[in-house]
Amino acid sequence: MDKFVVNIIHRPEMVPEYAEKVTGHGKAEDIGRKALLTESLDIFKAQQRLAHENGLKTTIQMTYASLFNEEAVALAKADHEAYGDEIALSLLGLPCKEFREKYKTKDFCIWMFSMEDKKSIVDDIFAKFHETFGFYPESTGSYYLDADLTNYIKEKYPSVKCAVATCWEEGPKAYHTCNNSWYTLFDGGPWAPWIPSKQNTHAPAANKEEDSGIVAIPHLSRDLIACYDGNGSNFGTHPQNVLRGMIYDSKTWEYPYMYNLIDQYRSLEKYNNGYAYNMMFVGPAWMNKMGRWEAPYELLEKSYSDGCAYYGKLKKEGKLIDMTMAEFADYYREKKSYTEPECALWRDILYGSDKQLFWYCDPFMRACVNMDQGGAIVDLRPYAAKLEWPVGIGTKHVQDASYPFLIQEKYRAGYFTHYAGEGTVRSAKLSYNGEEVDLCLCRTKAHFSQEGNTRTLTLDPVDIEFYDLAVKLQTKIYFEEASSNIKIERTVLGMSNPEAKVELNEYMVACYGTTEYPEDMTGITLKCEGSEEKSIAYEYKCREEQLAGADAVSAVVPAIGTKVSLTASHKDAVGYVREGYAFSPMFTLGYTKTISDKEVFATWLNLEKAN
Amino acid sequence: MAQSGKGKLNYRCPSCFMRDLDIDMFYDKDKDEYYCIRCQYTGNEKDVLEKNEMVRFRYRAMSERITKFDFD
Repeated sequence: MDKFVVNIIHRPEMVPEYAEKVTGHGKAEDIGRKALLTESLDIFKAQQRLAHENGLKTTIQMTYASLFNEEAVALAKADHEAYGDEIALSLLGLPCKEFREKYKTKDFCIWMFSMEDKKSIVDDIFAKFHETFGFYPESTGSYYLDADLTNYIKEKYPSVKCAVATCWEEGPKAYHTCNNSWYTLFDGGPWAPWIPSKQNTHAPAANKEEDSGIVAIPHLSRDLIACYDGNGSNFGTHPQNVLRGMIYDSKTWEYPYMYNLIDQYRSLEKYNNGYAYNMMFVGPAWMNKMGRWEAPYELLEKSYSDGCAYYGKLKKEGKLIDMTMAEFADYYREKKSYTEPECALWRDILYGSDKQLFWYCDPFMRACVNMDQGGAIVDLRPYAAKLEWPVGIGTKHVQDASYPFLIQEKYRAGYFTHYAGEGTVRSAKLSYNGEEVDLCLCRTKAHFSQEGNTRTLTLDPVDIEFYDLAVKLQTKIYFEEASSNIKIERTVLGMSNPEAKVELNEYMVACYGTTEYPEDMTGITLKCEGSEEKSIAYEYKCREEQLAGADAVSAVVPAIGTKVSLTASHKDAVGYVREGYAFSPMFTLGYTKTISDKEVFATWLNLEKAN
Repeated sequence: MAQSGKGKLNYRCPSCFMRDLDIDMFYDKDKDEYYCIRCQYTGNEKDVLEKNEMVRFRYRAMSERITKFDFD
């Protein structure tokens, strides 16, 4: 049976993140202000009412501050009794007098504390929760939960089975949008629920040994095109985010986009064995009585009311199942195997472009295929490495929790560069009589199919026009479950001159990093593997090696514990590796092959953990 | 001249919004204008609201309710 599951989560945050700084402008900081506490609780009550009026159950994520508030506790208990809401525990909303007196800091993001403090805070909060309710929670979460903390929580509090564990593509883009003052840096994770590995939250577990013991859900369900390019906080199943993006009619206060977004998520069941998911989690500050951004309170309240009403309508029509987080964890464990991927063939529903992206996520990789660039891979995260990447004070990454990329078209140029150098992308070029065409310039559309454990993207054929030759080429991209590779197959469907010979260059330009800025490429080793081995130790010297009939061309990137390689279907292909230079800090792996009419040539992009 | 405040709503700078920056503006009551503390935009409420309509140019499908999601 097809299922569209929604988790609706509310938190009684007594000192909302924005309220004190933004709407409290002009007042000296006082996080114990009675007016602030009263208003926060009123918003929480309104959110709960709107969900219940629409027949929806919620997960109440108690904050530390709310555990000291008798009214908040009583409300949670009452709604649990009346509506079956789950009483859970959030690691957001730490700030309150009790917290600040004990920890002597204004830090409030659990993943940024030292490991010692993380453990101490978790123990404090879980103890307070237990003292208040008489049991330990089954669900928890934050904007991000690092693997070390998750492992600690699971070991110490085994009742926890579900957690909000990342915000999809909330990284440098969100940081910039907030005038470089909002330090939520966690790009590169899954957009839909997953089982995090013990090694890295963003990398799904491949088996029981890697299983962290929880089911993770993303904070919000986000637009898989708009959020990849723009500010994540404008394009998600968070009604006030849609207002923040100004994606509404300012005269009628209508926002069809919000419903389109929910409906596109519903449609993803086609690619995921009949299952689709949504999450709505709006903090109280977004329904502030003083308004937020340009929106008055009435519009903020209306948008949340409309959001609940739409989910409620879908439920009444039998098109949606509302679950608590703990219920969802049980459902997910039963429904999904470790290696079953999450797939999303996503279309632009906002900008009117018809652009299509395909997102793929499994325990070995996250990849994005861009049909507007001929099926090029424009984002690639090598989860196969299961990179151990501690975050927080006392580690190398105090704030940066992003899973590193090998390819990222927005941060490292992609196909188009200014004047010189190359950007990261996995594509192909065709050359004939001195002319060259990159498939990145051949816009197309894709069709999804599944046979056994292989998901296939079949792209509409594209026409490549040289001065005196036309080539019709089709691309198919295969994702075989648990293979840790992507197979790309090119078929020459026709040539205006059937005797012509064309050179096909299958290539991948890559680097590594988590931000826009280049990393040190020293230490990377490039190799042509086969009858002989040719290698280049990266020194920005613009060198190149090639080997006819290479078994593989590869790069080992020690900084992210990853080996990436290309392999080819034909022995008459020539493998090559290319070092970059200071103005183009990339490496290139590729195969060239002469192809003829009706010929089929395949290459594989393989990802491994580097030893 | 007294210090600036926030104005009746948290209007953001429309010019910065166009480059994906959310910057709350401040209100200068002597000049009856909002101004951006990061860039050079200034404008009264009417101008801000007009520019906010302009920034929506990129959302060409914003008003369209899509009922069919068979994109492949």
